Amino acid sequence: MATLNPFVFRPGHSNLHYLDTRCKFFLVCIVSLSLLKANFPACFILLGTLIFFIQQINLELGQTLKHLKYFILFLVFIILARALTIPGDPLVQLYGISITHQGLYEGCLVAFRFFLVMVTGIIFSNTTRPANLKNAVQWYLKPIPFVPEKRVGIMISLALRFLPLILNQANETRNAVHSRCGNLEKNPVKRFIRLTLPLLKKTFLSADHLILAMEARCYCENRTDPEFKPSGKETLFIITSLGFWLCIQFF
Amino acid sequence: MDHPNQLKMTVYTALFVALIAMGAFIAIPLGPVPIVLQNMLVLLAGIILGPVWGVGCVGIYLLIGLVGLPVFAGGTSGIGKLFGPTGGYLIAYLPAVFVTGIISNKFKKNILFDTIAMIIGTLIIYAIGVPWLKMVFSLSWNKALAVGIYPFLIGDGLKIAAAAFLAKKIRPLI
Repeated sequence: MATLNPFVFRPGHSNLHYLDTRCKFFLVCIVSLSLLKANFPACFILLGTLIFFIQQINLELGQTLKHLKYFILFLVFIILARALTIPGDPLVQLYGISITHQGLYEGCLVAFRFFLVMVTGIIFSNTTRPANLKNAVQWYLKPIPFVPEKRVGIMISLALRFLPLILNQANETRNAVHSRCGNLEKNPVKRFIRLTLPLLKKTFLSADHLILAMEARCYCENRTDPEFKPSGKETLFIITSLGFWLCIQFF
Repeated sequence: MDHPNQLKMTVYTALFVALIAMGAFIAIPLGPVPIVLQNMLVLLAGIILGPVWGVGCVGIYLLIGLVGLPVFAGGTSGIGKLFGPTGGYLIAYLPAVFVTGIISNKFKKNILFDTIAMIIGTLIIYAIGVPWLKMVFSLSWNKALAVGIYPFLIGDGLKIAAAAFLAKKIRPLI
């Protein structure tokens, strides 16, 4: 199941694996905020740091990029859209359409930022157990009144477990539709429904099985949660990320 | 869990969070705002789960995206996404799913009212998303409408038609 998508937890012994999940949440927020104003040099510094962590967690880059082919296509479209729509000095002109220097620069920067956000998300999800994620969410939500933090935590951990299941079932359904020549259907609504209806039926059936299993085991929200185990490197990570954020804000 | 129905709704809500995340991952880029299945699944969540659980579902989806899981359109994430051009669309999912859920609950098992509910939900998404897009990019209204609404109208019509049909088929399952 883990090979199906790059967003599932992979066990390991890197610094990030042992880092407190609450700290990882904070780091992701800081990285995300920093990227809003980041220029190319800052993006390259962050890319270098992320590559270092990717090597530490032994993530297979080739396999990951294969899974991200649609995302990479999305980035190419962003670059093209910006290059064609932002006015400036023309770089290439064809049939009245011009690609501008400014548009290309802006497009590459936005795509680069999106890519870094994506890689940060992949590293985060590869190094964080769903149970720890649930606990950290509960911890952050606890002070907020009227929010059932335990139920929210359960829903998050269940949703994360459903993701690979849905991907798996989507692949199975797609293969079944193709084997019946369903991909030759011209009507887009029919094609869409022929894929999504069986998929939704299958996933709801899986959810029903899960509900039965949970009921059979007298599942309740008030379970003892695992304790947080800080690695001791949290302060270093937080200070470094805040330093990076401040540098981007002021330079 | 106090009540079996609460457990059932908890699991279904989690399932919809996962479905919305998957819908966002399949993005067709077109200008600054990509076409995604996510908004169809958000509105479907309102119809199937109702207004309260629907809002919970979208709230959790936004939360897991904000904390860093790549569940927003095209596989992006992070708090910065809310301040970006599509932030308005994301925030608008909350009132949209609530209103869609309320209308659909009032006239249950009626495909016509489900369709109307989803059209109103879509209008709410645009009513918040487009001014936000205009503000972030400092666009004129004409340009904001050109990049934020017009390219998606046909797709939205098809998605609403498909979602109304799917809602009719899925409702008996839960």
